[in-house]
Amino acid sequence: MGEVELSCLAYAKMYLHASQFPRCSVNGLLLSSSAAGGAVCITDCVPLLHTHLSLAPITQLALTQVDVWCSQTQQRIVGYYQANACASDSSPTPCALKIAEKIFEQCNNAVLLMIDGEKMFPGCRVPPIVMYERKDARWALKDKHTIMLRQWEETCSIVNQLFSSGDQALLVDFDSHLDDITKDWTNQKLNAKIMELVSPANGNV
Amino acid sequence: MMKIKMRDKLRKWREENFRNSEQIVDVGEELINEHASKLGDDIWIIYEQVMIAALDCSRDDLAWSCLQELKRQFPDSHRVKRLAGMRLEALERYEDANKLYDSILQDDPTNTAARKRKISILRAQGKSSEAIRELNEYLEQFVGDQEAWHELSELYINEHDYAKAAFCLEELMMTNPHNHLYCEQYGEVKYTQGGLENLELARKYFAQALKLNNRNMRALFGLYMSASHVAASPKVSAKVKKDNVKYAAWAASQISRAYQVRRVREENVKCSAHGITKAVYTVAMVHNVNIIHL
Repeated sequence: MGEVELSCLAYAKMYLHASQFPRCSVNGLLLSSSAAGGAVCITDCVPLLHTHLSLAPITQLALTQVDVWCSQTQQRIVGYYQANACASDSSPTPCALKIAEKIFEQCNNAVLLMIDGEKMFPGCRVPPIVMYERKDARWALKDKHTIMLRQWEETCSIVNQLFSSGDQALLVDFDSHLDDITKDWTNQKLNAKIMELVSPANGNV
Repeated sequence: MMKIKMRDKLRKWREENFRNSEQIVDVGEELINEHASKLGDDIWIIYEQVMIAALDCSRDDLAWSCLQELKRQFPDSHRVKRLAGMRLEALERYEDANKLYDSILQDDPTNTAARKRKISILRAQGKSSEAIRELNEYLEQFVGDQEAWHELSELYINEHDYAKAAFCLEELMMTNPHNHLYCEQYGEVKYTQGGLENLELARKYFAQALKLNNRNMRALFGLYMSASHVAASPKVSAKVKKDNVKYAAWAASQISRAYQVRRVREENVKCSAHGITKAVYTVAMVHNVNIIHL
């Protein structure tokens, strides 16, 4: 199918989310601020849960909230990501497939992204992600050559900088927001920090 | 940091069973390196606590040195043997760890810690059905083990076996009637199972959770959602519809109030409160019910 572009911002936050809860499965939604049609540009992500991913109420609540927020900020939900607690198993769970299906109903080039825990070590040369797309009524592995991560080296260095400055602790997911509603699940502060680190020469990363 | 303060912090984390491993390693390592001689008998439990935290942070060096101190002091202890087993688990040497635990169980078949570690190994290896089977067998013998019941409920939830997860949570609620978290989790499981009866049950348990802790946001949202669904169901009587619209409206107003009270001004919060109020009016309009603006 089509090309998918993953921005530094989206990648960094997914990575931080998985790192913040190394003993749990985590998930979240992938967003795009570009118009539909053509390549899918994943420009941002919203980290959702780190507990009970397969229970319905909070997932439904989060999907509704993110939907409303997206319509207010001219973004669309274009995909779903998940990192399994068991680092050696990066296959999509039934819950991941279910949520991805729901997203596909609204967005016909939706992607399902699984984070590969085994590749999440410093110095790994390959992005720790496995992407699936909808083909012939099922989710099939996407051709690696259609996935673009611009400025991969720079993205890695930005993630490292976030860890060394301690800013990775700023990340808030929807679960944490429910534990303390003064925390912002849209991560405005963290987004600003990451965009600061993204070099201006790259334009849209 | 003064050594007394550090010691107190470690004790607090130990008693409350926090898993803030990076902090424990930070504080514990300093305490051990600088003040080991002045800690008296406390040092042994601190070694144990720091060792487990070190395993959590992949600090095998620190874990190893703590283990050596404990082995030296308590050469034949099963408790120390279990720590050695946990270290092997952290190194993913599961066969060796299992051998160690089996040797503990040969000596002492009632050693619950070793049994539970064996089940944790199954879980780490992704062998969920075996872990579930072993945990069920364990609970037949040790029916009062809360930690085990909770672990089992988590395993069932992961396997989408909601009926059995509900059963585990029922056991937990019976023995911990004041725990709002168990009520709220039970509500979530019932909601997930779906169907009118389960939704009404979910609503009741979310309400119960709120009675026990009126700040439980998950329970508040859960109450709103389950009441809304019941109100929207074609199978309920007009009275039940009306009641549930009222419950949903109450929950919505509580949610709005909670956000306002915490004086949160960010965009996302405005949209939460707005989104919910909008949804409540929609539910009411669809069923021609006048809701009193709370």
